[in-house]
Amino acid sequence: MTNKIKIQIRDLWFYYNTNLILEDIHLDIRKNCITCITGPSGQGKSTFLMTLNRLWENIDGAKSQGIINIDFENGFEEITVPGYPLPQLRQKVGMVFQTPNPLPMGIYKNVAFPLKLIGEKNRDSNFEKVKTALKKAFLWEEVKDRLTQDASLLSGGQQQRLCIARTLVLNPQILLLDEPTSSLDETSVEMIEQLLVILKQDCTIIMVSHYMDQIKRIADTTLVLSNRQLSKQ
Amino acid sequence: MKKPFFDRLLVAFSWGCALLLISAVSIIIGFLVVKGYKTINLDLIFADTRPLDGLLLKRQVFGGLFPAIIGTLSLILLAISFAMPVGIASGIYLSEYAPANQKWFFSLMVDILAGIPSIVVGLFGFSITIFLHHFFSNRIFPCLLISALSLAFLVLPYIVKTTQTAMESLPFQVRLTAPALGATRLENIIFVLLPTALSDIVSGLVLAIGRCAEDTAVIMLTGVVATAGIPKSIFSNFEALPFYIYYIASEYSDPSELMKGYGAALILLLICSGLFCIAHWIKNTIDQKQRFSY
Repeated sequence: MTNKIKIQIRDLWFYYNTNLILEDIHLDIRKNCITCITGPSGQGKSTFLMTLNRLWENIDGAKSQGIINIDFENGFEEITVPGYPLPQLRQKVGMVFQTPNPLPMGIYKNVAFPLKLIGEKNRDSNFEKVKTALKKAFLWEEVKDRLTQDASLLSGGQQQRLCIARTLVLNPQILLLDEPTSSLDETSVEMIEQLLVILKQDCTIIMVSHYMDQIKRIADTTLVLSNRQLSKQ
Repeated sequence: MKKPFFDRLLVAFSWGCALLLISAVSIIIGFLVVKGYKTINLDLIFADTRPLDGLLLKRQVFGGLFPAIIGTLSLILLAISFAMPVGIASGIYLSEYAPANQKWFFSLMVDILAGIPSIVVGLFGFSITIFLHHFFSNRIFPCLLISALSLAFLVLPYIVKTTQTAMESLPFQVRLTAPALGATRLENIIFVLLPTALSDIVSGLVLAIGRCAEDTAVIMLTGVVATAGIPKSIFSNFEALPFYIYYIASEYSDPSELMKGYGAALILLLICSGLFCIAHWIKNTIDQKQRFSY
């Protein structure tokens, strides 16, 4: 755990149409830490995550204002400026959703999909990257003999680890996780928690969770989102 | 626990409707098979011409259905080739790009187009032919191309609507998955949304193929004739099975001629079934190739 700041958020406001969701958020998020965000449902926790990779821009009626700076190892960059390249931002700030969402493809193709997007065509090197990502997500041993199988046939826990592997294949610097264990059994939850603790050595993790015992186990910093405000617990 | 009376009534009614539908389809197909199967032979298709000569286009087939089969297939392929790219692209535009007010306006236009009777579309095609004949070239007449374009116009709403609905009904998380990985909007459409919605889009295409195969009103005004032989080009007149069936049904002189009409109807049904199977096979092949190979 370091004290170096990875993300600076200043004067962040967020609206869905005319509904104010986030109000004047000021926050610094530390590098190589697991920051957990908790709070009542429907308060905008997922929305907050989506401000960090600007995924909210894909939602009709959403509007944000404020400044977010991220240190991508070359000093802080303001990601909220108009024209900031979103594909590159989202490759560096990966996101895993609440419900496992494998793409309509085989297991290998799912994990290799981000490589295809950045134009990586070398089959051997792609295979190695996919293998490494699947190993990091503790999934390689379970799927190595059926890489062409439809990913939707995997169990819920395996699908979620596949989604994590798919995000990890590009070595993101920040990992956003939106309640990644909420639909999983105890064993899968344990595996994902172990995985996150290992992953924080290489990346900064921001996770939404409702489970206080989980937050106690893995969080370095805990934030509560309530009444449109984020506060430290 | 016993279901309330209204629930049971609703279930019974639903079962009754489904049964009615299945019965109607079975009766129609059964009737056609019973009436038509005896007439289906090489004579019905090639008449006096040797089948091989007919197939290799060495000799014209007179009195057989072969030119009408070729005409129907050409018409369907041409019409679908015109309507499919435009329809799918319009559906994608409406679901993914159009702002709300444009979407409302275009959807209304597509609905109006879907409601236009086929005879009116035929009349429109005929008017276009007259216009082109007068103002561009006096060699332009009703032909296969005009028929195919008119039919494409007729089936366009099916393809637009099914594509739009299929894309719009994709879950929110599926829509966000690829953008979260750095995909642009176009990459998201090509790699994720279209393949996921492909099954429903193919259903729309199957509907369109069926409509192209059966419509008579449009082609009657735009290029079909009773005895044209195999069309030499897209600017020629042509024969088509639905028109042959209509012609026989309204003008037959003896019962054996009417039987030929039943045979033609059965062949049309088989062609449609074959095309549906091909459409599903292509969809499955694309699916397999795109999704599961290395």
